[in-house]
Amino acid sequence: MASVKLTKVKKVYDNKVVAVHDFDLDIQDKEFVVFVGPSGCGKSTTLRMVAGLEEISDGTVEIDGVVVNDLQPKDRNIAMVFQNYALYPHMTVYDNIAFSLRLQKMPEDLIYEKVTNAAEILGITPYLMRKPRALSGGQRQRVAIGRAMVRESKVFLMDEPLSNLDAKLRNEMRAEIIKLRQKLNTTFIYVTHDQTEAMTLADRIVIMKDGYIMQVGTPTECFDMPANLFVAEFIGAPKMNIMKTNLIKENGKYYVTPFGSKIEVTGEKGEELKKRNVEPKEILLGVRPEHITLAKPGEGITTRLEVNEMMGSELHLHVYTEDETRLIVRVPTINLTADQRTNMVFGTPLNITFEGKVMHFFDPETEKNLLLD
Amino acid sequence: MKKTDSAAVQPVMKKHMGIKAANRISNTILYVILILMSIIWLIPFVCIVVQSFRVYPTGMSRYLFSHPDISFRWGFDNYINLWKSNFPKWYLNTFIIALFVAVVQTVIVLCMSYTLSRFRFKLRAPMMKFMLILGMFPGMLTMIILYQVLKDLGLALENAVPGLMLVYVASSGMGYYVSKGFFDTIPKSLDEAARVDGATRAQVLFKIILPLAKPIVIYTILTAFMAPWGDFVFAKYIVGVNPSAYNVAVGLQDWLSTSANVSENYTKFCAGGVVVAIPVTILFICLQRYYVEGVTGGAVKG
Repeated sequence: MASVKLTKVKKVYDNKVVAVHDFDLDIQDKEFVVFVGPSGCGKSTTLRMVAGLEEISDGTVEIDGVVVNDLQPKDRNIAMVFQNYALYPHMTVYDNIAFSLRLQKMPEDLIYEKVTNAAEILGITPYLMRKPRALSGGQRQRVAIGRAMVRESKVFLMDEPLSNLDAKLRNEMRAEIIKLRQKLNTTFIYVTHDQTEAMTLADRIVIMKDGYIMQVGTPTECFDMPANLFVAEFIGAPKMNIMKTNLIKENGKYYVTPFGSKIEVTGEKGEELKKRNVEPKEILLGVRPEHITLAKPGEGITTRLEVNEMMGSELHLHVYTEDETRLIVRVPTINLTADQRTNMVFGTPLNITFEGKVMHFFDPETEKNLLLD
Repeated sequence: MKKTDSAAVQPVMKKHMGIKAANRISNTILYVILILMSIIWLIPFVCIVVQSFRVYPTGMSRYLFSHPDISFRWGFDNYINLWKSNFPKWYLNTFIIALFVAVVQTVIVLCMSYTLSRFRFKLRAPMMKFMLILGMFPGMLTMIILYQVLKDLGLALENAVPGLMLVYVASSGMGYYVSKGFFDTIPKSLDEAARVDGATRAQVLFKIILPLAKPIVIYTILTAFMAPWGDFVFAKYIVGVNPSAYNVAVGLQDWLSTSANVSENYTKFCAGGVVVAIPVTILFICLQRYYVEGVTGGAVKG
C-alpha cells in the first residue's frame, strides 16, 4: 500500500523526441488511477518510468515518499502486468508465479501456499503444471496477474492488460480486475487506450495527449465537464458532436444558434454561464450523441441521414446538416415505431434537437471548456 | 446436362494425372541425384573407417582399393599402435585446447550477444560496425605477427598449447552475430517482467534468456569446440616441429609428411582419424535435438 507522486516527470529520448512533458500527479494510497489516451501519448512511457523500466530524463518519482529515480525495478516494490503477458515460456504456470518468490529465497512451503492461493482466486488451479503455450489468451493473462499478485507489492502496474483479448473476454476480465482490486486493496496504475476500460475501472482518469496531461478527474467529472475539446471527443462513444455556432445573450438568458435554430441554455450550464458572465461570441458547441433527440418535421435542426448503424438496443444515426456538418445521433430503438426503424435509409430527412442543459462550450482558439478555469 | 458435366470433368482428370506422373518423374530424378551425391560424400569416410581396421604386413599399407596380391587381415592393431605412439599426448593437447576454448568462447560470445541485444549505449552501433569490418579481414593475415607475438611471450613452439588457447579465444567476442540475432527474437518484455519480479541482469540472463536460447547456446558450444578441434594451419605454424605440443591435426599430418611415412603410417592415420571424429560425433548426436526444438511458444501473444 503506497502513494505514488510524480513531480515534473519528463522523458526525452536519445533522438531528442520528448515523450512526456512535465507530468505532475499525486496518486493516493489504494487509489485506482487509469492513464488513457491515443497511442503515442506517453501513457505507457510514464508507467514504465514508474516501474523503472525507462530512465527518467527529468523530475522525480516517489513511491511512499521515497524518491525511486535511481532504484532498479526490483527495489521499487512494484508488480507489473504486461500487455503481451510476458510469461516465461520454459516454466510451468506454477513456476511462473513462484519465480519472484524464489528470487526472494522464500521457503518452498510458503511459496506453495501463496501460489495455490493466487491460483484459486484466479481460477487457474487446474493449469498450474502446464506450460504457457498450452493456455488460452485469457488464461495466460490470469497467470500474468497471478504472478504480479503473489508479490504483494505496494503498487500494482498494468500496461494495457486486456488489449490482446477478444471483446467478450475483455469484458469478463474487466469485471475480474474490479473484483481483484477489492481483494488486493492496493494502489493501481492502469494504462489503456480504451476509454470504456478507463471509465469503468478508475477512481481517477488521467487523459493524455502528445505527452501532456489533458485532464485529471473522476470518470464522471471527465464525462460531464471535459476540460477541453480533446477530452470531450475522447471520452464517450460515439464521440461528442462538435458544432461551430454563436453564443448569444438576450434578456439575461444565453442561447446557442446551431444551423439556424435557437436553443436556450438551461440548467446548471445556463447558471454557470450567467455566474461567469461569459461574453457572447463564436464558440464550439459540444453535444453528446445520446443527448440529441429526434424532433418533429419542421422543428429543430434539419438534417439528412447518411448511415444508419443498428446496434441492437439503439441506432447510431450519422446525419449531415445543410452545410455538410456530420453529426451522430444515438436513438434508443425502444422509442421508435417499427415504421420509423425500417424507413430510416440514406437521404431520409430527419429533424433533431437537444436540450439546453446537455451542452458543452469550448473556446474555438484555445479549445478549452468555457465553464472551467 | 449430365453429358456436358462429364465432358468437362475428363480433361481436368487427365491434367490431374499428368501432374501426378510429372511429380513422380521429377521426384525419382531428384532422389537418384541425391543418393549419388550421398555416396560420393560418404566414400572418404567409409575408406577411413574400413582402412583403420585393416592390418597389412609392415610397410605395405595402401589405399582402400589396394593391389589384390597384398594380403591383409582385420583387427584392432592400428588402434593399439595409436596409443603406443605420441597420439594420446596430441589428443589430450587438442582436447584441453578445445574444451577451454568451448567454455571461454561460449561465455564471451553469449555475454557479448546479450549486451548488444539488450543494452543501449553510445558506442554500441559504431562498435558493431567496427567489428563487422574487422571480421572481413581473413584471420590468416594475422598469422605471421601472431607467431612473433606468441614467440616473444614464450607461448609458441613447445609452449604452443596455451598460446593456441589464447589465439582461439582472443577474437571470440566478434562471433556474436548469430546469437545476438537469436536473442533479439526473445521478447524484451520477458526481461522486463523478470526485472520487475526481482531479478538482476545476470539472473535475467541465466534464468530466462539462456534457457530459452538453448539451441543457440548449443550451437555456440559446438562451433567453439569444433574450430580448435580440427584446426591445422594455425596450429602447424605456431607449433613448428615440437611433437610434444602438436594437436591431432598437425600430428596426424606429420605421420604422412613423406611418402615413405605414408606406407608405414597410413592405417594408423586412419585409426587416428576415426578416434578424432568420435567426440564430435557424440556431441552432435546428443545435442542435435536442440537445433530443431523451438522453445519460445506461448511466451507472449503472437
